[in-house]
Amino acid sequence: MTAIAASTHAPASPGTRVWRIVRLLTANPMTTVGMPLMVLGLIFAGTWFIWWLIMASMSGADAQDAAEGIRYNGAGAWIFVYMLVVAVQAVNLAFPLALGYGSTRRAFSAGAALTFVMLSVAYASIMTFARWLEVLTDGWGVLGSFFGTNYFATDAGWLAQWWIYFCWFVFFFFTGLIFAAIFVRWRAFGLTTSLLALGVLVVAAAAAITLTDSWPRVWETLLGLGTLGVASWMLVPAVLAAGLGHLLLRRATPRS
Amino acid sequence: MTTVIRVDGLSKTYGHGANAVHAVSDASVALEENRIHGLLGRNGAGKTTLMQLLTGQEFATAGTIEVFGENPVENARVLDRVCFIKESQRYPEDFRVKHVLRSAPWFFPEWDQDFAEKLVERFRLPVNRRVKRLSRGQLSAVGVIVGLASRAPLTFFDEPYLGLDAVARQLFYDTLLADFAEHPRTVVLSTHLIDEVSNLLEHVVVIDDGRIIIDADADELRGSAVDVVGVRSAVEAFTAGREVLHRNALGGLATATVAGLDEAGRAEARAAGLELAPVSLQQLVVRTTTDETAVRTNGVPA
Repeated sequence: MTAIAASTHAPASPGTRVWRIVRLLTANPMTTVGMPLMVLGLIFAGTWFIWWLIMASMSGADAQDAAEGIRYNGAGAWIFVYMLVVAVQAVNLAFPLALGYGSTRRAFSAGAALTFVMLSVAYASIMTFARWLEVLTDGWGVLGSFFGTNYFATDAGWLAQWWIYFCWFVFFFFTGLIFAAIFVRWRAFGLTTSLLALGVLVVAAAAAITLTDSWPRVWETLLGLGTLGVASWMLVPAVLAAGLGHLLLRRATPRS
Repeated sequence: MTTVIRVDGLSKTYGHGANAVHAVSDASVALEENRIHGLLGRNGAGKTTLMQLLTGQEFATAGTIEVFGENPVENARVLDRVCFIKESQRYPEDFRVKHVLRSAPWFFPEWDQDFAEKLVERFRLPVNRRVKRLSRGQLSAVGVIVGLASRAPLTFFDEPYLGLDAVARQLFYDTLLADFAEHPRTVVLSTHLIDEVSNLLEHVVVIDDGRIIIDADADELRGSAVDVVGVRSAVEAFTAGREVLHRNALGGLATATVAGLDEAGRAEARAAGLELAPVSLQQLVVRTTTDETAVRTNGVPA
């Protein structure tokens, strides 16, 4: 009479449970692939046109000087911020749907992390390949540096170049994940509090550095680390964010 | 009959101290397999919270929950067999209807694609429209279609009729009954439009102010109370000492909804010159959930 109903079908394997979250988060490839590549292409075209105008009005040494200056442009940086937003939306809005579909929080968190690492691999590969083309074409024919700005470029080889991009993508994805997880768990109050706390920390650190006259040493350290070292260090906060985000999501409740 | 859901002494409290909200208070209930259960109650009675607890989306403050014999929280063995699209379900910003229909089958092994496509046609759902641009009725239709086509062994429908017109509501009820006959499964339907679904329901759970006040088979419930109508003094004399769910008086006439009136009681009423009238499920629920004197089958006053 009160026996417990037996299972009618075999439960999905843990791998299946995680993989379907990856599929859910990329169900609309326009968001994760189409849109960022299109915008990247448009910005690139616009930037290239400006460079072409600059170079057309210069010659010889002046052009070399301009090319050096161009290496400080931030035109390619927006894609990292875009991926941060992708991560925020994925966690904030796909989480309640995944739970409605009968997913566990554990599977969702693992699936989101896997998705972000896979996207980081893909985008790091695209950016590195574009940098390779950039070098090959002598800066797209106008001595430009779209994919090899001073913030990301390295002389340590293509693998190092890929690694730098990979680390930065991972950093931005998981920064998005942790703030979205805080929002999902504690809503606006938690988000505001954590952003304020982060702001206080940053100001306090800046004050400490200023008061101890340590700015020159900070810059020296950063220069010493180089683009490769700085990018690698970004994995530390990324891994912390991933772990903390997992713990937060494990106790989060989808709200309407 | 096997039990799919068993809840014992379940409570969910939000907030602390004076601000505490008792969304579910000391609820105990058991739902059997392969039946359509109605979870009835007013808005804010605790229907959605109870369903969130049953699907592991919410964490209980006290008490135990067993779904398919196990605690549902973070339990893939249980959740793999559950579909719960909330009335207020949120979808990813970039999702169109087709993305919902594309992703749902990944999560439900018994998903029926042909059935889903047929339903999309019948509900006239625009598959290329963004979910956030859908009307309330279309949004409800998305939830209904996922719930029906998932064929999940335990499917929850959370006020699925919101915004649906009369035709679409009837379509949902008819489709649910027809598909249920072919593919029996456990369905929990939360609603406050009780008359519309009363023919669908086999078992009824009424929740009010977080407490379960009725837990009974629909048939049993329909015959459980009767309206006694007549001259005020006669009605009062007859109901003295009997369990009265609701009283209503107009001038010299009075109506009393009397619970558990047996044959002898009915004969006595007729002898006293009183008329007896059946009470619909809806009226029964309304009367038990509006009266202060409501009899609680379980649960403690907050």
